[in-house]
Amino acid sequence: MQRCLGRLVIIGMAVSGLLGVCNHSARAGGAPPNEQDSPEGNLAIVVNTSNPVDTLSLPELRKVFLGERSHWPNGRRITLVMMEPGQPERRALIREVCQMNESDFSRHFLHGVFTGEVFVSPKTLASPVGVRKFVFNVPGAIGYVRASEVDSSVKVIRVDGRLPADKEYGLRIGPPAAH
Amino acid sequence: MLLAVLVSTRLVQAQSSGETGTDRPTVQMLLQRIDQLEARVARLEAAKQTDSPTPTPATAEKPRMPSSQDEAGSQAETESEQQAGTGSEPERMDVSKTLLRIRGFGDINLHGDNQKGDTTSFTLGQLNLFVTSDISDKFKFLGEIVFEGGPDNIYGQTRGDNNVFSVDVERMVLQYSRNDYFNVSVGRYHTAIGYYNTAYHHSTWFQTATGRPFLFQFEDRGGILPVHSVGVSASGMVPSGGLGLHYVAEVGNGRASRSPFYEEPVQNVVDDQNHKAFNLALFARPEAVRGLQAGFSIYRDVLAPNKSPRIGETILAAHAVYIRPNFEWLNEAMVIRHAPEGLSHVFQTPGFYTQISRRFGAYRPYFRYQYVNSSANEPIFPDVGRRQGPSVGIRYDASESVALKLQYDYTSIRNQQAISALALQLGFTF
Repeated sequence: MQRCLGRLVIIGMAVSGLLGVCNHSARAGGAPPNEQDSPEGNLAIVVNTSNPVDTLSLPELRKVFLGERSHWPNGRRITLVMMEPGQPERRALIREVCQMNESDFSRHFLHGVFTGEVFVSPKTLASPVGVRKFVFNVPGAIGYVRASEVDSSVKVIRVDGRLPADKEYGLRIGPPAAH
Repeated sequence: MLLAVLVSTRLVQAQSSGETGTDRPTVQMLLQRIDQLEARVARLEAAKQTDSPTPTPATAEKPRMPSSQDEAGSQAETESEQQAGTGSEPERMDVSKTLLRIRGFGDINLHGDNQKGDTTSFTLGQLNLFVTSDISDKFKFLGEIVFEGGPDNIYGQTRGDNNVFSVDVERMVLQYSRNDYFNVSVGRYHTAIGYYNTAYHHSTWFQTATGRPFLFQFEDRGGILPVHSVGVSASGMVPSGGLGLHYVAEVGNGRASRSPFYEEPVQNVVDDQNHKAFNLALFARPEAVRGLQAGFSIYRDVLAPNKSPRIGETILAAHAVYIRPNFEWLNEAMVIRHAPEGLSHVFQTPGFYTQISRRFGAYRPYFRYQYVNSSANEPIFPDVGRRQGPSVGIRYDASESVALKLQYDYTSIRNQQAISALALQLGFTF
């Protein structure tokens, strides 16, 4: 009986541990904490593999993510893919690329749609898997995921000539903002 | 570790079968509990595997290879296919599903001034339903349906009754987006004269101040510009590198010019003459100074009032604005020229405004100075005269969607008593 109880306690601890791991994964987007400072914790800008664009400067990228450019050079319409508010990847993109905060970013797009200058609002997806799926399937799509989440279904573009693994790469996700 | 735990739990079950009869109910209960926990562990392990970063394209279990994407027609080309790309319901024209998106804007005011006959009043401002619909990959509908109380004020003449609401279709546009360099809008739009007119439209919530500068007042609120046009507007970028040049070219009905002027200034359905109004705007958004926009526009029309010579109308406008999230500085100047045929005299109405504001957290104090000077003999809007003065106010963003503004205006008017006014406005979007 006592042994049985002992096993039960062990199983309980295992379940708790597993739940903890899953919860942490959900919070951190699947990245271990030490990824924040590693190249794998950088923000990778991803496009469809058929997109001829390989590199963008940061100002060009800003124009794209602010809706100021609506078409790729090959004529395809740009479809922005954003992750949901509160995700560290989204915060990093808005901070590093758009140089805004969440509120200003939302207002910018609302204003752009209101004036008619922004043709289509960004698509909002919940997970890196969703972003990859969308970018994989839509030739004009551009999105972002943590560098460790990149796979062969999407193409990573250079920002200012650098890839996420490069030392001087500028788009870092950084620590989550305190709430 | 989990495997070890599971194996050991099976051993526990095996050992438990040999327990004495007195503990059997308890053992049975514990075994049931163990089974439940095992099932839970299995579910969590399965969920963890699902969360792994294996590519999961929507249409197949295995990721499609890049080579397959290059095949013609294999990828999503339209909005509907994009929706399918995420595994959600395809967005296409479907009678059972609306494609409309509606965003609302509104404002409620408390206003008082020292003008004789005016009373301090609570005022319902405009209720603006902003409607958009992505019709297809290239076409989009955009509209503003505005409910507002009367009466109207058109060139100083009032029309309609107090406290009676009416509905105006302020914008109704079908947009076609070819590329960054060529977009076409057809319908009723805001004329691209200067900056303010196409930046804020009918939402007070977007505007820092409680209202538009006098130069850009709407036609039915005493404004002097052809703020709205019905026609065709083309716009886009001009290849210019870091200069960021943009153009707007418009052809429309122009403002109504038959007498009486105060009936309806915007020619929504019928133009009172064959001649069309033209407008050309050019502006730059240089990469080097983010937030800066500078440009000019030229508007040309011919007005044909009854029992008087035709009047050539030319509106020259220039602007330089600098807008960042925490700071804005708007500057616009223009001249409205009315040249009656057969007369050597040209009536020129110059005007300008400057507005500056700075955000401190949720607060944004602002200052505006505006000026317009129209001749007493001006043939189109003789009521305007010369009016000028400062406005000072503060905007408080109570939330991301609600703004409270307090504004004081001092306006001196030629041959009239100066007006001091105080307004409190609650502007919101929903």
